[in-house]
Amino acid sequence: MSVDSARILPLRNGAGTNPKIVAKNIQKYFGSVLAMEDISCSINEREFVAIIGPSGCGKSTFLYLIAGFEKASHGELLINNVPIVGPGPDRGIVFQEFVLFPWLTVLRNVTLGLDIKGVPRQEAEERARKWIRLTGLSGFEDAYPSTLSGGMKQRVAIARALTYDPEVLLLDEPFGALDVQTKNYMIQDLQNLWLEASRTIVMITHSVSEAVQLADRVLILSSRPSRIIADIAIKLPHPRDLRDPLLRRHEDEITGILSAEVDKAMSLERQDSTKVERRGS
Amino acid sequence: MSVETSDIRLERYDLSTASFGALVGIGRAALIIVPLLVWELCSRFGLINGFLFPAPSLILYKLWVQSGPNGNPPYAILWHVAYSMLRLLSGITIAVIVGTLIGVALGMSRRARLVFQPIISILMPVPTLAWTPVLLLVIGIDNRTTILVVFLAAVFEMIYIIAGGIEMMNVKMLWVAQSMGASNGQIFWRVIIPGVFPYLITGTRLGTGYAWRALIAAEMLAASSYGLGFMIYDASEYMNMDVIYGGVMLIAVLGYLLENVLIGKVEAATTEKWGSTQ
Repeated sequence: MSVDSARILPLRNGAGTNPKIVAKNIQKYFGSVLAMEDISCSINEREFVAIIGPSGCGKSTFLYLIAGFEKASHGELLINNVPIVGPGPDRGIVFQEFVLFPWLTVLRNVTLGLDIKGVPRQEAEERARKWIRLTGLSGFEDAYPSTLSGGMKQRVAIARALTYDPEVLLLDEPFGALDVQTKNYMIQDLQNLWLEASRTIVMITHSVSEAVQLADRVLILSSRPSRIIADIAIKLPHPRDLRDPLLRRHEDEITGILSAEVDKAMSLERQDSTKVERRGS
Repeated sequence: MSVETSDIRLERYDLSTASFGALVGIGRAALIIVPLLVWELCSRFGLINGFLFPAPSLILYKLWVQSGPNGNPPYAILWHVAYSMLRLLSGITIAVIVGTLIGVALGMSRRARLVFQPIISILMPVPTLAWTPVLLLVIGIDNRTTILVVFLAAVFEMIYIIAGGIEMMNVKMLWVAQSMGASNGQIFWRVIIPGVFPYLITGTRLGTGYAWRALIAAEMLAASSYGLGFMIYDASEYMNMDVIYGGVMLIAVLGYLLENVLIGKVEAATTEKWGSTQ
């Protein structure tokens, strides 16, 4: 990366150097199927890491391992140097399909994490209102989720995860269910939110442009059984412009690696299926 | 589905106006009033047997007298209704609580499902009344017998529907709560119970229907002095046709009130307000 771009990195929000999440030789089997071959990586404090890979490669599984929803078959997964044994409030999660609680209003959805902690209602609402405002949901506090659009539901999910103040924010294809306009808008917003929140963020995505626009680092996973095949740092200041030629270069580079991997996976798949067909005939 | 919701749908999709709603109202009332009027006239003018089919006005008069201090015993109808409702509501309440707990346990644990599914499937189709003689011998003629019959009539439906509701629930809702650090108790009260609430209402509604039928029958067999079932059975011994018809009418009206007013109110305050459950 050029010296110029390094100099204009915003220091306040620049990624720290302390490792927040460390994965060592993670292996994951589903039954007898090897889903994850060997994943090792280190994600630093306040770093925004995007994980990208061919569909079905186990990107989300890796996120669920970090969240503690799933357990690794082998290897070590640490947060703040402590092994992850289950879900906890130090990690907030946002799903592609929002997963709001339909029986709670927007405000109650957002305060739920604090309610569970036993934070007094008034303080909980105060803290919730801050993120409701920053996610552009002011005026919808008393609405039920079923009355909101997809983009607004996702804002509620993000506000809900940020309000209880997790150290790490885990995003599972957060823009996957949104239309293009809403998505572009949300990407801009998420950059600002990230600058404001200054958290470690791990985002799963299948969109290269999302990844290069948002992340400090992009990890590319191979097709199943997955390994990390590339770890690309994107040292450009935020907020980023998709027309920036440097960003374009990163986008092309990642797209190249990714399509080579997809080609390989597809041709393997095709070979397998023709083998099966021949055997069958 | 309650009558109220179907009304709203009609208004939404039929581009209808207030006059359409009024027409529906008139039609509904006519379907009740016209047959009663025909019955009344036929009975009064001797077109049908006035002993087997006493005029509705006479039936209502009988109900009125029996509800007052001159009834035999005084305020008889009120006591019959009170006893029946006590048995029905206690039985259903216990069935809702027990059915929810078992249903949640079965829905959450595949192992529990594998173990308990067969026994529930075997017990479920046994008509509740088949248990009544056993309960009568073990417990005797007592409120506990009728309450147990009501419980048995409603509980299997509850278990089935709640367990199905849990299986339909998005596991990620539990994940979200877990990642907020929720304890198992918090997850139960804040996620599972509201999450299965639509199913809980459906289960209660269906269970109440079964429970009503079982209650009236059980009261005919196992009530000593009060209850609508007992009242009808007792009246048939003395050929009091007006009391029998009065009992049937009361059962219909009470059933309607329970289903549409009580459960309907709960539904309007919860699942209908929440909108889609996804």
